Amino acid sequence: MTKVLERASQLDVKKNNVQNKIEAKSIFFDYDGLEILQDINLTIKEGEFIVLMGPSGSGKSTLLRLLTGLTQPKEGEIFVNHQSITQSLPDSSVVFQDYSLFPWLTAEENIMLALKQRLNKSKTKKELEQLAHNYLELVQLGHAFKKYPGEMSGGMRQRAAIARALSLGSDLMFMDEPFGALDPVTRIRLQDLVLRVNQDQQRTIVFVTHDAEEAIFLADRIVMFTPGPPGRIAEIIDVPFPKPRNRKKLIESLEFIQFRNYILGIMNKEIFEKLNQQNELLLNGNGI
Amino acid sequence: MKKFLQLYIYTTLIAIGLLALWVFITNFTELLNPIIFPSPEIVALAFIEAITELFQGFLSSMGLLIPAFALSLILGIGGGLYFGMNQRIREILSPFFQTFSPLPPTLFIPYAIALLPTFELASIFILFIATFWPIFLGTIEGVLLIDQHYWDNAKTLRLKGKDLILKMVLPASSPLILSGTGMSLGLSFIVLMMAEMFGANSGMGHFVQYYTDFTQYDFVLAGLIFNSIVILLIMVIYEKIKKRVLFWTNLKKTGSSI
Repeated sequence: MTKVLERASQLDVKKNNVQNKIEAKSIFFDYDGLEILQDINLTIKEGEFIVLMGPSGSGKSTLLRLLTGLTQPKEGEIFVNHQSITQSLPDSSVVFQDYSLFPWLTAEENIMLALKQRLNKSKTKKELEQLAHNYLELVQLGHAFKKYPGEMSGGMRQRAAIARALSLGSDLMFMDEPFGALDPVTRIRLQDLVLRVNQDQQRTIVFVTHDAEEAIFLADRIVMFTPGPPGRIAEIIDVPFPKPRNRKKLIESLEFIQFRNYILGIMNKEIFEKLNQQNELLLNGNGI
Repeated sequence: MKKFLQLYIYTTLIAIGLLALWVFITNFTELLNPIIFPSPEIVALAFIEAITELFQGFLSSMGLLIPAFALSLILGIGGGLYFGMNQRIREILSPFFQTFSPLPPTLFIPYAIALLPTFELASIFILFIATFWPIFLGTIEGVLLIDQHYWDNAKTLRLKGKDLILKMVLPASSPLILSGTGMSLGLSFIVLMMAEMFGANSGMGHFVQYYTDFTQYDFVLAGLIFNSIVILLIMVIYEKIKKRVLFWTNLKKTGSSI
């Protein structure tokens, strides 16, 4: 009887408590003596879409870099899948702003290179090529297999970068301002693509942006940073709109506008505080 | 061809003008010593007369240049990649690189002659020393200047070993490898002509030297012109190869957006 109860409660735990994907514990980071990140604590659940948001210099991209394991924090520890990432890079894929692809390889070659590492050379070149084509078709780049990044538009490049990230097969994807350089229409299309990846394929996504609307439309939770340096987490906000979200309806709704103003309010408050501090410093300086 | 004319119309006109000036001065004035400055027709006759000898010289020069240059490419790029990617070993050995690389290759001629059995080997050795350093140091610099983004990408893809070197490090550093190679190529002609002046019995440099000794300046000029054409052609081919290898630095957007 007790055993059955135990099992039932375990099932319960499984249902209600989604596993933690990432745990960052009191992270500090500095660069050339300048403190960039101060006491960051953050837990990200499996399948969650987290947006790191803040003005430039707030350390949001730095935190993303630390989470990918490309850079090590000065203090604190990061766990991905309950394993510390100090020893080896976590199982994840990364999409950078505009330099994820190698410019000397075509779209398909870029993806084949990624696939080759992941599949440990167990497939023939032909099979790799077929797989690469599948991933490129998934992001509507069926017409651009043989194109070099230099021949593609910014939007196409980011599509290819997302295809490559997907091809790596990890359920964790990091994206560092991936749509920062794109025109609005392309941006919206790619946002939809990323949301689909998050929902259909149950992939955890950590996404950096400084655009409030983008953050609200994409995120389950928004992590707001104070304007650095040093950047701290100002607040972690649940986005109160259920997914899937209808962009048009959402953007026209009063709740959205209020929520956006709330987010911008937090950001502006932090920015004004920072400016005030600097002004005081200046005034003090003039006094001497 | 039309494009060529458009681009080089003035260059061609100036060349024709200079040739006409040469014809005029040598044939219709007595400003220049006719032995040292023969007229173009005489040089052209010498050129035709010596064409087989010139081509033999070319082949014999290439017989020295190609092995030396190939060795420099293999050891220079291979070694450059190795030292570029291994910081500690590079730090230990770089004082030696800095000491030896600026030495003029001609300083090694006494040892090359004393130690190597034939003139060919000695020349190849000297040519190798001359062409190795720019390629080697260019490659190291190329690896050191690889954009951090490419390293990040390679890391997130977990590139290792052969794939890391062939698909990332080598292409990413190729702009500086090629500029080092271009320097080597330019230097190699200077050293080649010099090397052929001690003990060679054929070659492009030897041809000029040989006829200078007999004050046959029509042949000397024919040799100079022939050498210039050969060097020009090799440099044009090199530029074509360079452009081809670095095609990705100069691509234009095609097709639609999104």
